[in-house]
Amino acid sequence: MKFPESNTEILSRRDEIVARLREIVPDGVVADKSGLATFDCDALSTYRQQPLVVVLPSNREQVSAVLRYANAEGIPIVPRGSGTSLSGGALPRADGILLGLGRMKRIIEIDYENGCVVAEPGVTNLNITKAVEAQGFYYAPDPSSQVACSIGGNVAENSGGLHCLKYGLTTNNILGVTFVLPDGEIVKLGGKSGAQGGIDLLGLITGSEGLLGVVVEIVARILRKPPVTRTVLASFDTVTAAGAAVAAIIADGVVPAAMEFMDRACAEAIESYNAPGYPKAEAVLLIDADGVEADVSDAIARIGAIVARIGGTLKEATDEQARAKMWAGRKAAFAAMGKLAPDMMCMDGSIPRGALPEVLAEMDKLSAQYGLSFCNVFHAGDGNLHPLILFDQDKPGDLERAEAFGADILRLCVRVGGVLSGEHGVGIEKRDLMTDMFSEPDLEQQHRIKCAIDPGGLFNPGKVFPTLSACIEQGHLHVHGAQMPRPDLPRY
Amino acid sequence: MSAVSTEAQVSEFVRAARADKTPFEIVAGGTRRGAGKPMGDLPALDVSGLSGILKYEPEELIITAAPGTPLSEIRAVLSEKNQCLGFDPADWSQVLGSNGIATLGGAMSADAYGPGRLRHGGARDSLVAFRAVNGMGEAFRGGAKVVKNVTGFDVPKLMCGAFGTLGVLTELSFRVYPRASHATTLCLADVTPDVGFAALRKIAHSALEPTGLVYLPGNTPLLGGIGVGAALIRLEGAREPLAEKVTQAHGLVEGAQVASFDARRLFEDVRSGTAFAGGDHDVWRVALPPSEAPKVVAALNPSLWLGDLAGGLLWIGAAPADAARIRALAAKHDGHAMLLRASPEQRAALGLFAPQPPALAMMARNVKAAFDPLFLFNPGRL
Repeated sequence: MKFPESNTEILSRRDEIVARLREIVPDGVVADKSGLATFDCDALSTYRQQPLVVVLPSNREQVSAVLRYANAEGIPIVPRGSGTSLSGGALPRADGILLGLGRMKRIIEIDYENGCVVAEPGVTNLNITKAVEAQGFYYAPDPSSQVACSIGGNVAENSGGLHCLKYGLTTNNILGVTFVLPDGEIVKLGGKSGAQGGIDLLGLITGSEGLLGVVVEIVARILRKPPVTRTVLASFDTVTAAGAAVAAIIADGVVPAAMEFMDRACAEAIESYNAPGYPKAEAVLLIDADGVEADVSDAIARIGAIVARIGGTLKEATDEQARAKMWAGRKAAFAAMGKLAPDMMCMDGSIPRGALPEVLAEMDKLSAQYGLSFCNVFHAGDGNLHPLILFDQDKPGDLERAEAFGADILRLCVRVGGVLSGEHGVGIEKRDLMTDMFSEPDLEQQHRIKCAIDPGGLFNPGKVFPTLSACIEQGHLHVHGAQMPRPDLPRY
Repeated sequence: MSAVSTEAQVSEFVRAARADKTPFEIVAGGTRRGAGKPMGDLPALDVSGLSGILKYEPEELIITAAPGTPLSEIRAVLSEKNQCLGFDPADWSQVLGSNGIATLGGAMSADAYGPGRLRHGGARDSLVAFRAVNGMGEAFRGGAKVVKNVTGFDVPKLMCGAFGTLGVLTELSFRVYPRASHATTLCLADVTPDVGFAALRKIAHSALEPTGLVYLPGNTPLLGGIGVGAALIRLEGAREPLAEKVTQAHGLVEGAQVASFDARRLFEDVRSGTAFAGGDHDVWRVALPPSEAPKVVAALNPSLWLGDLAGGLLWIGAAPADAARIRALAAKHDGHAMLLRASPEQRAALGLFAPQPPALAMMARNVKAAFDPLFLFNPGRL
């Protein structure tokens, strides 16, 4: 992966820049070697780079002042929440300020009357739910890193989770933000009404991966926790039958809270890892239905009828403990795969659900072609595919083959009408594949939007959009020795 | 008026308009031309020929259609598969006193949502992909025809509610939603706005997944015999689950009765703004945090109004002289007042929305210029 050249003029002014930032944020500048080392990557730790300096503001005025200064001096800015991005979105630059929002972690207001929480960007996703769960509410998007990832980072990445088909992504679950533009101006987009009185700039900045400015306050919508959740496990003799079941469930009008697909290799690896009781089958579906008791019973009955009609076998978790066990398997998928090979790459494409059998067959061919094995977990409800490629970095050529295999998988996703990223973001890792998905006019239009808001090109340069010097094909989360980056976080 | 029926023709038209520096109005069914700042005597581009459903895969939950496709056609095709559009798109031709056929592109461009928005959000929450021609005459696309996608900027969001100012749309792909087989409406009659809206918010924040929460004041032309006003709660589901949800709703809101009137028709009237048709009043759509709706009503005391989305939207019919108060109240209560219908003079003076603060207005203007640097499309309308 090639990065834009560092600006030597900025590098030479480092001391002056550090001093000026200390005036703006006296207690929040990190400039010493060991301090900077802790910020040198996010969860895509294949790529590391120490930032010029780290600044950790504690309020929006400081954020604005830092941006005004950087804008006037032409210094690149890389915003960072908790650094859990799987696509390198928060990878620093040698000539850039890393702007960490982690100290801004106050919950400003909880408004049950209007079903929302007003929070600073550093509040973790899970802490929003924790703040309201005693009253029976929760915040719906649940990325697997939710214990650590920040709500500000969620807005930047438009984070998803296991429940997107029913509850949407971040963009569907926030009502407003306060946003600092690259020139330091502070604007309010939306609010508790969710309305904006003009074009949908809130929708634009959500998922803009730190390329347009910095979120300093979020109005997050909260929902009543569903009183009932039931879980079933359906197994099938063929992948095609499982795909047919998914299509039939959706066509029948059931919207499962989650619907996870695992192929044989994946289910077997999980079974030998933590024995959740997954059957030996070509394909396994793990399905949640949630809501009020009556709706859930109705959904489970309909799912059961469809699975039976298609010739699958259904098993229901009979109590909360059994439910947790079924899910523990799926949530351990990445760890279980990690036992199969020294290294693993996690891909993140999204496809029309109907294309699943075709995509799986094609991936088998690619697997043979590259001589690397892989397995599949798939958020079948919303079409988000996570193939896991197994390889051994110590074997010469294996890493390159895995990268090429991964890039081909993403191209395959695009070819069947899907996309490069369903939830991890483009960041640095899929940047050079953007031209495979978008035509030149499509990308130029997005470039012009970027330039309209960040004319100096100072925000997160080198991310998302391919540079002229497009280079190695990438597209993966690299895991070495079964150790995920941020091993404390579950990933699924 | 020039007419087009292909994307290539749109491109050609825009390139010519760009060469001549001639702004133009984009018209399909023409039902919403009465909303927004009058644009004067501009040439019009008739895009109603860009019509028809291009692809519909119920099991993928995605429908792709040309923007000039009539809403009625989309509804009919979706309902055959028991599905619907999430934003419950409204036909405003009655309230705007217009003829013509309301289209999909017009409804999403005007952010014309109905009571069903409560459940599935606005057009922005379900437009997953589009094709359009920008101000350079280039055809481009945004988004993708899948449910879940975070690749690149979320450009589809911008096109919703932009009143055609960012591009000439040529293709739209929406995520669609299943429609339940049965619906029941509960009516809590003879309650003040304070009590009625509080009951609606209680249901909104329950797990009952309501699909309509409307307050009607006693003098509404839509429904008689409701005393000072009524809170209406619409619930959906399969037959037996629905019965249980109705029981639970009774537990949350004491005194509500199962409606004996044609509630489906009533919610359609709320969606269309039927109660505000005719007359010489201005018509407003005021988006608010739901808790603020009764406060705004109390402060304004309008003679013609109703509340949708549990208070998240107030429809208000008011004298032209009330405009400044309505805008001020909306701002005070963290909302936005959209002037849907008024005289051309009033619309020219007030615009669709209040002016935005300078930094925000500049941001919006710059984004608009990124699509249409010469401001050719529906100039000044938004």
